[in-house]
Amino acid sequence: MKKSILKKKTLHLALAGCLLGGAAGVQAHHPIQAKFDRNAEITLSGVVTLVDWSNPHTHVFVNVTDAGVTQNWAVELESPITLKDSGWSSDTLKPGDKIDVQGIRAKNGSRQVWGESVVASETGTPVFSVKDTAPLKPAEPRPAPKSSDGKVALGNTLELGDGYWGYPTEYALVEDSASIEMDKYGQLASLSDASKVAPLQDWALALYQYRQQRELQDDPMFINCKPPGGPRQYQSDLGIKILEDKAGQRVFVMMGSGNHNFRIIYLDGRSQAGQVSGDDDNPLYFGRSVGQWEGDTLVVNTTGFNEDFWFSNGGLPHTSMLTLHEKFSRPDLDTLHYEVTVEDPGAYTRNWTASWDMSWVSGKELPVHFCQDNRP
Amino acid sequence: MRQLARTFLLFILMSGTAMAQEGHPLKGSWIGEWTGNATHGDFVLLVLDWDGKNITGVINPGTDNMVIEKAELDPTDWSVTIQAGGYEIEGTINALELPSRSIVGTWKNQDRGGKLEISRQ
Repeated sequence: MKKSILKKKTLHLALAGCLLGGAAGVQAHHPIQAKFDRNAEITLSGVVTLVDWSNPHTHVFVNVTDAGVTQNWAVELESPITLKDSGWSSDTLKPGDKIDVQGIRAKNGSRQVWGESVVASETGTPVFSVKDTAPLKPAEPRPAPKSSDGKVALGNTLELGDGYWGYPTEYALVEDSASIEMDKYGQLASLSDASKVAPLQDWALALYQYRQQRELQDDPMFINCKPPGGPRQYQSDLGIKILEDKAGQRVFVMMGSGNHNFRIIYLDGRSQAGQVSGDDDNPLYFGRSVGQWEGDTLVVNTTGFNEDFWFSNGGLPHTSMLTLHEKFSRPDLDTLHYEVTVEDPGAYTRNWTASWDMSWVSGKELPVHFCQDNRP
Repeated sequence: MRQLARTFLLFILMSGTAMAQEGHPLKGSWIGEWTGNATHGDFVLLVLDWDGKNITGVINPGTDNMVIEKAELDPTDWSVTIQAGGYEIEGTINALELPSRSIVGTWKNQDRGGKLEISRQ
């Protein structure tokens, strides 16, 4: 029974794909600017034929009739996770509903649109709009919770219940002394700011600029399902969860992005043995992390990274010589402060530091998203 | 022998996709041809590394080992020059964004010269 439903859905999607005129990659996750042309604005009015409510992007298929010719268009929207957070569901729109869409066209000329605004034609009511759902912080900061050993708890406690860390205040690595405009994917507003982001070596700056000029379309996290290793795991809308295993003397960082990967930080005093060839406790994309508490701050040293991934949104390069010096603290119940010093003599001219905060999302589990969905 | 080398090269090129490499663009193994090389044959293999300051490596490891004496990458146009064992290679990195990026250019020594095309594995 389940199989036949899946087959039916697959058939629907295949038909939708055919209607698109062979437009490839309709399912692939990507920065918006990698697929759509911000300068190619378009308005469509039509009748909904199908709503594909699946990660990484929701698609609404619409029959648009112009001069007696009807063509099917795909309107791409945010992920179901984001839309659901804003109060929408898979049956907000149904086949037969009439909608007006304002958006921007796909760069490859296919009948695909990034939907910036969707309105029900008959009522004029906006649908699938995205609200800022970041949790509001109390005016008076609440004290950070404590674990049974008296140390600040970086994750959940029995009293707190469910929750995770999300809504980072920075979406890409930028040296703390710099102030640079970029979007949530790390795309710079001005390419001329590239040299200010971090003290890059010449080759690394040129490679960073090249990735930016290509509008991040080569990001291996999106196209090859590579994990968000390094600081990137703390730059995702999908957040992280910190689990402190006191008996095992280690901390697990569970990721809402990537493959729901996790990293381990060992607190048992073992020596650092990071190596890019990896082993059971040195998982390559996350390096080997050893740490200790300094007061209420967890201080972590990580080495042993491979070079198969981007360690920040926006495409800053790193090499296998990378060592991260990280500090985790919880100044109040609702704030996780993350600070990282990047030491990579292979790509940077000196060590440099970036820091940002994440917000406690109370009463919720990590969003469920798998990067396998990023691929067609 | 040359035919055998060509067949081996074809096998290598068809046997899978290149390993990802998002760090220094030259780091890795590069396999291809330097055509018209009567001394060392058309087949060539370079293994390159980056130590943070210098590009190091070897041409044809294990057979006619030639340690790279000097190698430079100009990131303004992604051009590459390599000197080893009396050879001088000049080329440009193509398809920089791909793990299987290539270097296309020329080789020469004191006697001869020809085209060079190698791809990262």
